[in-house]
Amino acid sequence: MKIYVPCDSSAVSVGADAVARAISQHAITKQRPDVTVSRNGSRGMFWLEPLVEVETPKGRVAYGPVTPDAVPALLEAGMLDGKAHPLCQGLTEEIPFLKQQERLTFARCGITDPLSLADYIGNGGFRGLERARSMTSDAVIEEVVTSGLRGRGGAGFPTGIKWRTVAKAQADQKYIVCNADEGDSGTYADRMIMEGDPFVLIEGMIIAGRAVGATLGYIYCRSEYPHAFRTLQRAIEIGREDNYLGSAAGFDLHVRLGAGAYICGEETSLLESLEGKRGQIRPKPPLPAIEGLFGKPTVVNNVISLASVPIILDKGGAHYRDFGMGRSRGTLTIQLAGNIKQGGLVEKAFGLTLRQAIYDFGGGTASGRPLRAVQVGGPLGAYFPESLLDTPLDYEAFAEKKGMLGHGGIVVFDDTVDLAQQARFAMEFCAVESCGKCTPCRVGSTRGVEVIDRIIANRDREKNLQVLDDLCELMLDGSLCALGGLTPYPVMSAVKHFPEDFHARN
Amino acid sequence: MVHMANQIAQFFSSYPREEAFAGVTDHLKKFWEKRMLQQLHGYVAQGGSGLDPLVLEAEKRLVSAAKTTPALRS
Amino acid sequence: MPVIKEIDYGTPLSVAQTLVTLEIDGQPVTVPVGTSVMRAAVEAGVQVPKLCATDSVKSFGSCRLCLVEIEGRRGTPASCTTPAEPGMKVRTQSPKLAKLRRGVMELYISDHPLDCLTCGANGDCELQDMAGVVGLREVRYGYEGENHFSAPKDETNPYFSFEPSKCIVCSRCVRACEEVQGTFALTIQGRGFESKVSAGNQPFLDSECVSCGACVQACPTATLIEKSVLEKGQAEHSVVTTCAYCGVGCAFKAEMQGSEVVRMVPYKDGKANHGHSCVKGRFAWGYATHKDRVTKPMIRAKITDPWREVSWEEAINHAASEFKRIQAKYGRESVGGITSSRCTNEESYLIQKLIRAAFGNNNTDTCARVCHSPTGYGLKTTFGTSAGTQDFDSVEHADVILIIGANPTEAHPVFASQMKRRLREGARLIIIDPRQIALVKTPHITADYHLPLRPGTNVAVINAIAHVIVTEGLVDETFVKERCDAAGFERWRKFVAEDRNSPENMAPITGVPADQLRGAARLFATGGNGAIYYGLGVTEHSQGSTMVMGMANLAMATGNLGRNGVGVNPLRGQNNVQGACDMGSFPHEYTGYRHVSDESTRHLFEGAWGVKLDPEPGLRIPNMLDAAVDGTFKGLYVQGEDIAQSDPNTKHVTAGLAAMECIVVQDLFLNETAMYAHVFFPGSSFLEKDGTFTNAERRISRVRKAMPPMAGLADWEVTVALSNALGYPMNYSHPSEIMDEIARLTPTFAGVSFDRIDELGSVQWPCNEKAPEGTPVMHIDGFARGKGNFVVTEFVATDERVTARFPLILTTGRILSQYNVGAQTRRTDNNIWHHEDVLEIHPFDAEYRGIRDGDLVAIASRAGETTLRAEVTERIQPGVVYTTFHHPVTGANVVTTEFSDWATNCPEYKVTAVEVRVAKRMSQWQQEYLETRKRTTQILHEVGPAR
Repeated sequence: MKIYVPCDSSAVSVGADAVARAISQHAITKQRPDVTVSRNGSRGMFWLEPLVEVETPKGRVAYGPVTPDAVPALLEAGMLDGKAHPLCQGLTEEIPFLKQQERLTFARCGITDPLSLADYIGNGGFRGLERARSMTSDAVIEEVVTSGLRGRGGAGFPTGIKWRTVAKAQADQKYIVCNADEGDSGTYADRMIMEGDPFVLIEGMIIAGRAVGATLGYIYCRSEYPHAFRTLQRAIEIGREDNYLGSAAGFDLHVRLGAGAYICGEETSLLESLEGKRGQIRPKPPLPAIEGLFGKPTVVNNVISLASVPIILDKGGAHYRDFGMGRSRGTLTIQLAGNIKQGGLVEKAFGLTLRQAIYDFGGGTASGRPLRAVQVGGPLGAYFPESLLDTPLDYEAFAEKKGMLGHGGIVVFDDTVDLAQQARFAMEFCAVESCGKCTPCRVGSTRGVEVIDRIIANRDREKNLQVLDDLCELMLDGSLCALGGLTPYPVMSAVKHFPEDFHARN
Repeated sequence: MVHMANQIAQFFSSYPREEAFAGVTDHLKKFWEKRMLQQLHGYVAQGGSGLDPLVLEAEKRLVSAAKTTPALRS
Repeated sequence: MPVIKEIDYGTPLSVAQTLVTLEIDGQPVTVPVGTSVMRAAVEAGVQVPKLCATDSVKSFGSCRLCLVEIEGRRGTPASCTTPAEPGMKVRTQSPKLAKLRRGVMELYISDHPLDCLTCGANGDCELQDMAGVVGLREVRYGYEGENHFSAPKDETNPYFSFEPSKCIVCSRCVRACEEVQGTFALTIQGRGFESKVSAGNQPFLDSECVSCGACVQACPTATLIEKSVLEKGQAEHSVVTTCAYCGVGCAFKAEMQGSEVVRMVPYKDGKANHGHSCVKGRFAWGYATHKDRVTKPMIRAKITDPWREVSWEEAINHAASEFKRIQAKYGRESVGGITSSRCTNEESYLIQKLIRAAFGNNNTDTCARVCHSPTGYGLKTTFGTSAGTQDFDSVEHADVILIIGANPTEAHPVFASQMKRRLREGARLIIIDPRQIALVKTPHITADYHLPLRPGTNVAVINAIAHVIVTEGLVDETFVKERCDAAGFERWRKFVAEDRNSPENMAPITGVPADQLRGAARLFATGGNGAIYYGLGVTEHSQGSTMVMGMANLAMATGNLGRNGVGVNPLRGQNNVQGACDMGSFPHEYTGYRHVSDESTRHLFEGAWGVKLDPEPGLRIPNMLDAAVDGTFKGLYVQGEDIAQSDPNTKHVTAGLAAMECIVVQDLFLNETAMYAHVFFPGSSFLEKDGTFTNAERRISRVRKAMPPMAGLADWEVTVALSNALGYPMNYSHPSEIMDEIARLTPTFAGVSFDRIDELGSVQWPCNEKAPEGTPVMHIDGFARGKGNFVVTEFVATDERVTARFPLILTTGRILSQYNVGAQTRRTDNNIWHHEDVLEIHPFDAEYRGIRDGDLVAIASRAGETTLRAEVTERIQPGVVYTTFHHPVTGANVVTTEFSDWATNCPEYKVTAVEVRVAKRMSQWQQEYLETRKRTTQILHEVGPAR
């Protein structure tokens, strides 16, 4: 009898470790040698965490949320044998939130023991690598191009094209760098895959290395992710033990921990930081693909981009491409957060509308109050009003509405939100996280906070709204990188869609 | 003076004998002022103890050259 | 001439061969690939507004003023970071761009004090300029917001102030410190609005900062500014001249108000320094108007008499009559003179001419005797020319840099920065030095090999390196076959291949582990372009000349000559060592290194000068002093050199000086030698004269008069007057005429004239019909002597050996902030960094002797004893102690001995057997010195002007 208790931070933070201990203890005292507790990744249904699953002949039965306090009663009720209980959610696969998804990248996440190579291989792992090994590197790149995979970090640049540039560059050394500095508010897809299925990322990086001729990879993991860091380190050790990694394998990998700067999620700052320097933006050109880490051609890809590569190679680029809409192909990993009833990860083909994501999956606001605003794409994403909820989740559709999908984070606000304060927060966030290199961001963000404060305080409001508008234009067009360049999105979208929060106050 | 002259001889000592003589002679001729050469001649006349044989031979050559070449006044 | 402002192209020059053509504001312009749009615009005559860009550092893209529009591209890219591409159509002006730029300036000024009228940079501030250029009329953010107005000033550095309230965080200073200077002392601390320039969270003076001035130079505002500018205001005109400190020969703009220097600014078009400088040339010029300057001629009958100020006429006539009296009494050869490597080519030439023609003997020598005379001998013997083979820029093509007995970051800092840049680009580095000099490990540079040899074993090391190259088949056979004398090579090959020269057999002598030495040898022979740079750690040995030839052998055997990136390169200590040697200052040769016994040359000079010349070599400096002690040398004219402090075995030197009847010293200050002088001619500083200096790369650069001579006469005019008074007429109206005479009489200088130098900026000899633009790299198609000459370089241990009584070896060197005998730098604020010489001693040796850091210690050799403070450090190896010689009271040369290079008599400064012990008081020599100094430097001031 196998019992699954997630080791994902989202579960651990609400007592999963204590739950696992309690179940093990129970198995010993009740002399149930048939019971083994396995620590899996998270299924991504956070409102049910800790989500305990019990293996039954019908399939895995879910219980959640299983707080440590609830464990004795559940055990009493026969949870270990899949018996009924108010917390029993039935068969995991049948939970609508999960059932409605199209899981490609996250296919294994939550099902397997993240550090079990046998689990990984038993569930389709390394099939992509195997296929890639039978192909020329050009063919591998073509497969990725065919898939239409675009950078999942937010920029949406075609991954295959980036690889092609690096493959063509002549150099004695090339690198694969994985951007795991997942800093956007309300996002956690990278963390979930690193904690829940680290080998898929490793496999993706090995394939990338083969494709472009890189022999060394780095995963730049944000310091706020200690669990992910440890899991990756252990997974890499296992990978080396089994000769997937290391000099004999032709590709080796290291994890590096960031130092808490949001800006290091920007690829050039990330490279500076990896080199041991101050995390500051480098101007482009030169592109990192030509002169990246230590001046060598470098693929810098987001975790999800790289973790999507194995399935593309396994099932073929066309298979992946057949999901999605328009120029957004494959699946998007939506991360529901904020004031939402059912927060969690939804992997779904592009094209789902914002409304479907929030209501069909998220179940509306957690407070039960009317939804007033949604911010998509992290702290630099635009605030959308209710009227834009039918926008499909698609790069181009969002751009058209002056928003962005970013890394797929959706943060929901109910009608108690004050958008002037949110606009101020956006400027403040920029001021706090600015690397300080370019003037529009360094000075502009601080001035932006001051100007919004004056607007809120009704000091020369109309004049200051004009100043804010000019400042946003300057930051948008004049900033060196996306931090300063995108901060106007939340600010201007708030002013545009919620003018009453700026004008009609005293 | 003896030390300086012997140093020159030491440098040329790894050359074949004839070249070494020529080397030391030429060096003394090119770089030593007449007072220094006179001092050397005087010292050799008194026995020249402690001087490297190369220096002694070079000194001899300098003296005979001076006799035959009027341009070299010593 | 108004203040010269070089064009700032915004980003560095691209040296690519491929060209691209693009359009800037409708105007086509063609530039090398890799040129930024910004630079291309300047080439097309269009200035794009900018603040963070300056062409001494790589583009950075932070200020966002230089945004442009490019047809077919999204957005407004920064022109500094966007490379020019073929067919690009760039617009530098549009309403949108104007609005963006005004917006950027509005942000800048919202955090900048509005004190332009009282600001030190008023009139020389790029922020002020840009506010005007973009038409900023209003700052709508007001001034109550967050700001840095109250950030405290840092005035710890004696030469510049740091006022962070005026900082615009463009990082130009930080980047200059990194890219131009290579010290990495500055950084940006904090992030976002809190970003600030920091010298590592400590005052500038306590930081790693070496005061090179690159940050001050790069700063577009008054944040980093010279204190002299704050004090005096902006200059009204400038004069381009050449620095009078080390052998790098940096070009500077002397920025002036009337005849007063406001500041010295490195000149961007200077080919030796490319706009960079060090703390000495940039800031330590205050000595030129120091109160110690003697500005009136003086005479005295005995050295114990006080000095009496007299007119020029009286002083010159007195000197002339004394020299005539002495020659009449003791013979023609009883007098001589010494030229200085500090003085101009024209001055050196005149002195040796005066000696040869007016004194009628060849008793002329120069202070190069005590530094680089072995270079002249060694390179002439092997290659045929007594000079380094490369220009400085050659280092940018070097793949393996071999530094032997030189400490470039201290002694040749501006060239060191260029070298460090190349090393950071990936060139490999081998250092052969007893001490762990800074380059062994400095930010972003770690030497591949440091061979810490025992002082005095250079030749053993070079032979062992050659042994590895010959026995492991690493010789460049093609080069040797085509370019070198075959018999000589075979003899050398056999010699170095002998087993006794192997690294293993040499290790017990040199102290260098054999595997390290083998590794270094292989790297040098196989690592691509190998370039050798060396200093006085090579020459100032009993085998100095042998070692120079050993390095020349190595370069020939590995084919590292005759192109960019290779060569054998002496780093000359003083500004005009090369020039003083070129000018015929040595007793055995005329200008251009032609022996006095060579009849055709002598006849040429006899014809031009109208006198009969002596065909035999004259006395060298040590020989002059010997002869003085012997009583046959009685009169000496010393221009700009201080042999009493700089020459070895001080007691012997001063005995020689004291034995003379007339010593004429021409100097800025009453120096140590002047304590023994009878006539004092007040000299003029480099700011007060016209002429030329020749640097370590044979580059002849102009020295231009920025102020009138304080003593009324320039040095060359004094020499002319003395010659005339001696009865040998000289007649020149300007130093350019002296150079014309040199050019007429010297084949390698045939094409040199002041006009030509003015036209080219500077020129490297040989400059003649064959090379009208000069010769940056020598021996390209063949050696000056024809075939390269391999010389057998037997290692002979110095006779200066450690004994039970003197168990340690003393070696000497320099420090960045001080220069040589310190006459100049000691009279500036540079003393803040080095106010006394200290003795570096290894903890092991210190412990054994009970010496603690900071203790006063006595250091004694068989020559003498002096005292100084000890610094216990592992920079120095056990068994070796080290000191500098910048302060006369240290008396480092009281300890050094009379041993010298076999070929040139260059003193063996680098090896002296000594003992060190804790001392309670100053040595007897020092006490006597202070006493004598007081007694012999009194001046009876005369009322009225000198003339």
